Amino acid sequence: MDTLQYLGQGFDVALSPNNLVTALAGTTIGTIVGLLPGLGPINGVALLIPVAFALGLPPETALILLASVYLGCEYGGRISSILLNIPGEASAVMTTLDGYPLARQGKAGVALSISAWSSFIGGMIATVGVIVFAPLLAKWAVSFGPAEYFMLMVFAIVCLAGMAGDKPVKTAVAVLIGLMLSCVGIDANSGVYRFTFGSLGLSDGIQFVVLVLGLFSISEILMLLERTHHGQTALKTSGRMLFNLKEGSSVLATNLRCGVLGFIFGVLPGAGATLASAVSYMSEKKLAGDSGRFGDGDLRGLAAPETANSASACGSMIPMLTLGIPGSGTTAVMLGALTLYNITPGPLLFQNQPEIVWGLIASLFVANIILIVMNIPMIKLFTRILSVPNWTLVPAIAIITSIGVYAVHATTFDLFLMIAIGIFGYLLRKLDFPLSALLLGFILGDMMESNLRRALSISNGDLGILFSSPIAIGLWALVAAMIALPFWRRYRAKRSAKLANA
Amino acid sequence: MLYQRLFAASLLLACLCLGVIAWGFHAPFSYEPVGPRAYPLMLLILLGLGALVLLIKPALESSPSDEPALTKPMLIKVAICLALLLALASLFESLGFVPSAILFALGMARLFGGRWLPSVVLAVVLGTSLYFLFDRILDVPLPLGVLAGLEI
Repeated sequence: MDTLQYLGQGFDVALSPNNLVTALAGTTIGTIVGLLPGLGPINGVALLIPVAFALGLPPETALILLASVYLGCEYGGRISSILLNIPGEASAVMTTLDGYPLARQGKAGVALSISAWSSFIGGMIATVGVIVFAPLLAKWAVSFGPAEYFMLMVFAIVCLAGMAGDKPVKTAVAVLIGLMLSCVGIDANSGVYRFTFGSLGLSDGIQFVVLVLGLFSISEILMLLERTHHGQTALKTSGRMLFNLKEGSSVLATNLRCGVLGFIFGVLPGAGATLASAVSYMSEKKLAGDSGRFGDGDLRGLAAPETANSASACGSMIPMLTLGIPGSGTTAVMLGALTLYNITPGPLLFQNQPEIVWGLIASLFVANIILIVMNIPMIKLFTRILSVPNWTLVPAIAIITSIGVYAVHATTFDLFLMIAIGIFGYLLRKLDFPLSALLLGFILGDMMESNLRRALSISNGDLGILFSSPIAIGLWALVAAMIALPFWRRYRAKRSAKLANA
Repeated sequence: MLYQRLFAASLLLACLCLGVIAWGFHAPFSYEPVGPRAYPLMLLILLGLGALVLLIKPALESSPSDEPALTKPMLIKVAICLALLLALASLFESLGFVPSAILFALGMARLFGGRWLPSVVLAVVLGTSLYFLFDRILDVPLPLGVLAGLEI
């Protein structure tokens, strides 16, 4: 049992006093960021990258910090959904459907504790999944050559667009814009300046931190400006804080089902927490049939998206760690942070730096436990943070963002670039393009191009290498299936519309 | 709908321009079969196709958006916010971090509906405490600018 031995090593890393304090700080910060309306895990993780650098944290500690912030955000997102009916981020939208009605019925305490419990179970199921599947996948992935890697990234991108539901073309366009942005700068292979327009600041390429903070922080500030008008007051949490045994056992089956479902969605590249929570809510609603009161305060309707949500957050660590391909916007940011530390995630990471991988996996366990222990007694404190007004929050976020960007190169050029990217991101959001797709494209861009060129160098320019191995052919088949998915969905929707009319 | 079309059209135009620029990428000597030109061109062709689809059939994917429509007072607010950000960026080094951050925070707090006195207090606290936090404790060097003479 190599795995158990490695896991033991991982716990040694995760339970060292420094890392334990880091995990505690990370989960607290994450919960607070997650519950502030408009700020999600991507903002939280991105803002902390410069801080992690400045503190001089070693890579495994930095990664533990970012991962615990991520999990904390998924926890915190539910507080504002349940009490304010405002989801802190996209993946918490489903939580509002049954959480807010419960809070209005005076069961806010029960709703909060049962959703915390659901998140915990989901996170635990997915962490076990990570322990079982990540080493297997890593062993298998060692045999991937550049051609297979290229195809895998094509699959990740197509998957993102195919799963996007109602707007595959917009998602694809957003990914392509991200891929284009990653081309800016000196071409590493030939030394040619690409798309720099003679600017020195761009010759190094667009810095990852600049892009993320511009895209998510600046555009979020502009979005908050619009929403700042209508204030809403949080519902009081009164009465019983803890759910009782009967309520707990009534959602247990839901927890288990949705935990597995969420984990699978987390592993799929590009699917992510938003989709996982939506699908699990819908399937639970179907399963419950007429017996459910989904939509006006069914506990199962609250447990389903919450479980899936945090299960997919943990599950999305698998493709990031084993393949170096992020499964969600937040893991894309974490991947970027790793490359800043000169660590290339991928199958070799398991062999070369097991302390980082297993330390991270063990810290997922630790963070989940910290979160459930912290959340139930401290709920009252967290709900008070909800009343921090925007006028104090936004200037602080904006200044910290600027410091983070300035710290990269110590030039103000990056600040201007960040603002330009922020305006662009704001426009894209207004026009309903998914920004996390753009970010994923930007992260994958470099790897995708270098793998394609390496593959073609091996074959001396023969495109046949992209079809040569069974893995590559299998990936082509998956790509074709993903491209067909939106068309099939549209066909089915049309047919059912016709049947309804007839 | 009009905005969607407008965006798709400008995206298409940008693709064409960038395509012309990318056509000129040429490695003086090269050891590999694929030069620096092929990959960006491939992306631009795909991106152009996507923009074309959105230009021809924007109704395909524009669901009734739940974002509030941009009104004139909103646009002015957005413009002020951007002006503040630009001012921060351009004064960051010349004026120094502390004064520019204080001015910026004051403007932002007022823009987001804070009253005068609390906003001033907030701005001063933010400007100085963030300077000490990042420059002194976290070792992120921030420019002192006009305050350099004070030698704090």
